[in-house]
Amino acid sequence: MTAIKATLRRLLRAPYSAVLLVGLLVAAVPLVSPERYVLRVMVYVGVNVIIIAGLALLFGYAGQISMGHAAFVGIGAYTSAYLVGPLGMPWLAGVAAGTLLAAAGGLVLALPALRLHGHYLAMATLGFAEIMHVVFREARHITGGNDGLGGIAYPEVAGYAIDTPLGMYLLVWGVAIAVLVVVANIVRSRPGRAMQALHATESGALACGVDTVSLKVRTFAFSAGLAGLGGALYAHSVGFISPTTFGLEQSVILVAMVVVGGTGSLAGPAIAAIALTLLPYADALIPGLSQGTVAVLQDWETDIYGIAMILVVIFAPAGIGGLIRRAWSRQPAGAGEVRT
Amino acid sequence: MEAAEFFQYVIAGLKSGSIYALVALGFTVVYGSTGIINFAQGEFFMLGGVLAVFFAGLGLPLPLAGIAAVIMTAAIGIAFERVALRPQRSASPIVLIIITIGGSMVFKSLARHLFGPDELTLAEFTPGPSIDVAGVAIERQALWVWGLTVIAVVVLAVLYRKTKLGRAMRASSISHDAARLMGIDTARVVMVSFGIAAALGALAGVAVTPLTQTAWDAGATIGVKGFAAAILGGLGNPVASVIGGLVLGLLESLSVAFVSSTYKDAISLVVLLVVLFVRPQGLFGRARREKV
Repeated sequence: MTAIKATLRRLLRAPYSAVLLVGLLVAAVPLVSPERYVLRVMVYVGVNVIIIAGLALLFGYAGQISMGHAAFVGIGAYTSAYLVGPLGMPWLAGVAAGTLLAAAGGLVLALPALRLHGHYLAMATLGFAEIMHVVFREARHITGGNDGLGGIAYPEVAGYAIDTPLGMYLLVWGVAIAVLVVVANIVRSRPGRAMQALHATESGALACGVDTVSLKVRTFAFSAGLAGLGGALYAHSVGFISPTTFGLEQSVILVAMVVVGGTGSLAGPAIAAIALTLLPYADALIPGLSQGTVAVLQDWETDIYGIAMILVVIFAPAGIGGLIRRAWSRQPAGAGEVRT
Repeated sequence: MEAAEFFQYVIAGLKSGSIYALVALGFTVVYGSTGIINFAQGEFFMLGGVLAVFFAGLGLPLPLAGIAAVIMTAAIGIAFERVALRPQRSASPIVLIIITIGGSMVFKSLARHLFGPDELTLAEFTPGPSIDVAGVAIERQALWVWGLTVIAVVVLAVLYRKTKLGRAMRASSISHDAARLMGIDTARVVMVSFGIAAALGALAGVAVTPLTQTAWDAGATIGVKGFAAAILGGLGNPVASVIGGLVLGLLESLSVAFVSSTYKDAISLVVLLVVLFVRPQGLFGRARREKV
């Protein structure tokens, strides 16, 4: 028994625990419930897991806040939709371009924003995102303006169209798991340790030989790129995008997911992304839930996010990730983690 | 462009500029005494507007409804500080940002539950046709906006300079710890700052709602613009915040006149980014070097 528990503990303490957990969950969902609705909701959840993996790296590990991540999601979504649709590029090329352009956007924002900390960085990223939101609304010939962009092509890889809910589910979650593996590796390696050092104290990290400037720029661009990838996948699997999806509200919700998940953790934010995304679609998770309950949940969604955020930072600053660590580790709570 | 048309744009700019100035003052008052940028500041503006509509709907005469809305919003601001922020006063900026963001989400969403999703309108304080000054039309409500802004600024200046509380607030903004050692109740200063900031935001909301209408989601945009104004002038400096607000309003209005109205909302954001990246201390601030 103790051996099993020790193994479990080791697994769960490792950042790979996120990957393991999510992988098991992914395999189970279509077996338990092959319904189209459930799979569609899960596609949306998978997209958010991809985005959150990047934001957890940037905010949770490197301690750099971004109040504008939804804009990078939008850049990825619109770029890919436009390149594949009107310009007729192959799907993979469109998604790659969307990812790269979002990463480039992150780079462009990160370079001047490096001088800023805390509040100022938050406001600068928010300002950038609001500018992008204006662009999404006003560049009508590309984005379709407020009416949005519909009829976006389904994903197509090597002439094989992925147009069923199950296909899209497997595609998005395949990508999500790959992203989690990559991010888990980054976290465990030298850049990950450098990020935690940067988070704890910037001057300290600098004194220890961390090139903080380059690290911040790379992390920002990488994180923005993952947001763009999530956005591109979202556009092609949902088939319709409009500016409201990529607004301030969404950026704030993404930050809320990382906060609730916990800083310095990958599993926590992944779980928070899954749970908070499912909240308004609780009927997909719990069969037989009344329409009334779902309507109430959807109506109070923002309140729940907001209150959850405040309660977590006040009472459980380490978030879900901290709870996991506490449950599976003999270390006292809080040991070995970087507090914000 | 004729002179009258030009001045029409200037009037419009000064009108929205006054509103930005009031919101910017709210940011500055809280930043001055706490070092916090209150991301819920825009929601105080929204609350002022919707509460005034609510009280007027109850049958209260307009001036009373406005005053009640301002007082109620100030009480909400104080309560917010007391419940959510005070327990975390020593926490890092990111934690405080998150708390005020969470607060803004809750305020906004509660306003939608309580007052509905639709646009709300408020009657003008003194209805009547616009006043014509040499071919430039000035709405009566615009006079109210300016008048109330001037009164608010004067009251704030007197409070800061002449009262014991104001001196305590200025002392806390120079050094929180030193102020405490001198026997100043800094916790009270912080609480009062939030009350004043909320009241200023609410006043702006009440004054401008007859012109623009309001709704539960009106806070975010004005919050960003108010912050842009505060940072343009120099965060923490009340006079600079007011100037920053007026300059921002004029820039926006003149960009509509001379460039295009399509990207009007982007002007304040571009100003925000340029100031943050090039001169984060603002037009009137002095650069501070951070020592390790």
